Amino acid sequence: MKRVAAGHAGTWLVAGATALCLAAMLGVLALLAGAGLSTFWPSRIVELRETNGTIAIGEIAVATDEVIVLRESERDRAGGGYVRIPRIAIASRTEPDDAFVVALADGRRLFGRDDASIASATARDAAASVAVEETLWPNAIGVVGRTGVFLRHVGRFLTTSTAAPALIGGALPALIGTLTLVLLMSLIVMPFGIATAVYLHERRGWAASIVRGAIANLAGVPSIVYGVLGLGLFVHGLGAGIDRWFFSDRLPVPTFGSGGLLWAALTLALLTLPVVVVSVEEGLARIPPGLRAGSLALGATEGETIWRLLLPAARPALLTGLILAIARAAGAVAPLMLVGVVKLAPALPVDASFPFLHPSRQFMHLGFSVYDAALESPDALRGIPRAYACALLLVGLVVALNLAAILLRNRLRERYRALEG
Amino acid sequence: MLTTSPDNAIPSPPPAGLPADVEVALELCALSLWYGERRALESVSFAVPARRITALIGPSASGKSSLLRCLNRLNDEIADCRVEGTVLVRGNDVYAKGVAVHELRRRVGMVFQKPNPFPLSVYENVAYGPRLLGIRKRRELDECVESALRSAALWDEVAARLDDSALALSLGQQQRLVIARALAVGPEILLMDEPASALDPATTLRFEELLHELAPRYTILLVTHNMQSAARVSDYTAFLNQGRLIEFGETDALLTNPRERLTEDYITGRYV
Repeated sequence: MKRVAAGHAGTWLVAGATALCLAAMLGVLALLAGAGLSTFWPSRIVELRETNGTIAIGEIAVATDEVIVLRESERDRAGGGYVRIPRIAIASRTEPDDAFVVALADGRRLFGRDDASIASATARDAAASVAVEETLWPNAIGVVGRTGVFLRHVGRFLTTSTAAPALIGGALPALIGTLTLVLLMSLIVMPFGIATAVYLHERRGWAASIVRGAIANLAGVPSIVYGVLGLGLFVHGLGAGIDRWFFSDRLPVPTFGSGGLLWAALTLALLTLPVVVVSVEEGLARIPPGLRAGSLALGATEGETIWRLLLPAARPALLTGLILAIARAAGAVAPLMLVGVVKLAPALPVDASFPFLHPSRQFMHLGFSVYDAALESPDALRGIPRAYACALLLVGLVVALNLAAILLRNRLRERYRALEG
Repeated sequence: MLTTSPDNAIPSPPPAGLPADVEVALELCALSLWYGERRALESVSFAVPARRITALIGPSASGKSSLLRCLNRLNDEIADCRVEGTVLVRGNDVYAKGVAVHELRRRVGMVFQKPNPFPLSVYENVAYGPRLLGIRKRRELDECVESALRSAALWDEVAARLDDSALALSLGQQQRLVIARALAVGPEILLMDEPASALDPATTLRFEELLHELAPRYTILLVTHNMQSAARVSDYTAFLNQGRLIEFGETDALLTNPRERLTEDYITGRYV
């Protein structure tokens, strides 16, 4: 038997593991992109003529060997237009060029043809009573036209407000809510995390050990527990107190006493505190002790040394902590559901009216939109692709934020490279 | 010339080894130092003459660096370190109650064994100290930085790249930058802990020239275990062994005609 050199086998092992990681990551992105973007692509409208003479017009939702599930006009409510038609009952199947789909502002969609048939007449009647979002003749347009429609749908998803049943509206409020929440969380967690890390780095006694142990335990607490904590401590405790003292004229309508952006950001800050503390402390520990001695020897106090020398030198580690915190915060949905995330917020947490940031407002969040679209949608078959689209947007947002932090960190690393060598 | 034996009681000033007319900048009286239970210095007493270079020689772990770090109280940073005896800077005990340690450290500058420039630009390294002193105006800072760099014989080499990272300089330049940084806060005394040990021979010679240039203005206490270097640069030499001061005197006399057997063994290389 031929013996394989250990180094050779090791190389294959680690390369294989890396490839697997890469494949898993690309797989997730491909799935999200494929499934998410398909919801924006205009599907073709089919007209099925059954053997008993009935005519059904709509788009194919599910097709198996035995049956076709057709999405017909939703006359009463969104998600109410599905019909099962056995394949043996179908006499003919056509894709007429004059078939149209009308998307209504209440999330319903109606199908018809530019003729005088009953279905078409019903569609026109229903469309007359509700605002029309869009009318399309998807069969008549080619690939270029479809791409145009696709891009228009994507643009609308990114730039418009969410409609009542979140089937046709955009995801802008959720995008802004997520971004505002993450930024506010970062502003809160960084000072606290850095201060704690400095304390742990400078004081090595039993007190520091207790704090360090407590923080290690914080990292292991499930995120929903933070939600409960936030609800009890911030919303019902702090928030109710603030309302009693400062907004008593508005009671019993709560101002800060109900879930809101500020409480959600505080809850997430608690959740991400451990990762910030750990990475900043590691960064401080990596700074050569000679720098500290050099600063003290110049007559700097301990505080001046930390503020003017050690923290600036640890900036790459601060950004690493921030990156990890953002990644953890953007993925946490469970705690937010208890402290201020809503399905549909009446107003954005940031707007043009003073004071521009409204910390007491309830807000929308992409992570919650995924959950909402996947499980709470009135139309499950259209909800799932929308969940994918929201997830894709969330991943894109996290990647963009991390990329910005990583670029900044790499620029700083250039300056401090000689230190680490 | 006298020697100090560790069994002596605290000697009364002026301490041994110096002619009476020499001005004293720094004086150690029965200085002892413990790291936990281990005694690193045993009742060391000698006086450092002002505006001269005094070399501190001795084998490894003889307490040279510990002694140096007593003088600007950098040992305060070490948790289980305990100091007894007195250190007088211009007659003031640095271990007295109520001494502002950061003030002391401004008067007693220090240069470390390994060049330790801050990860900042050349300019900001030198301006670090003046900024601590509250100097904010750009022009004042510029003057401080330039004069310190000129004193450290580095100005001509770095004038064009003051904004470059200090870490990009060569080791020899870094060591001179660190000296410029120490000079920028206007110290009277410079403590140097084997400052040339990381430098190559040619750079070392250059560095020694710099010490000569600084000597008329600053009191320099230089730790070295390079005998030739001590002979070339220093006016006075103290020989330390196992935490005890064995001999102190003018460098020429001490190196050519040592009083103590241990000193002779050490400088002739027979030391075990």
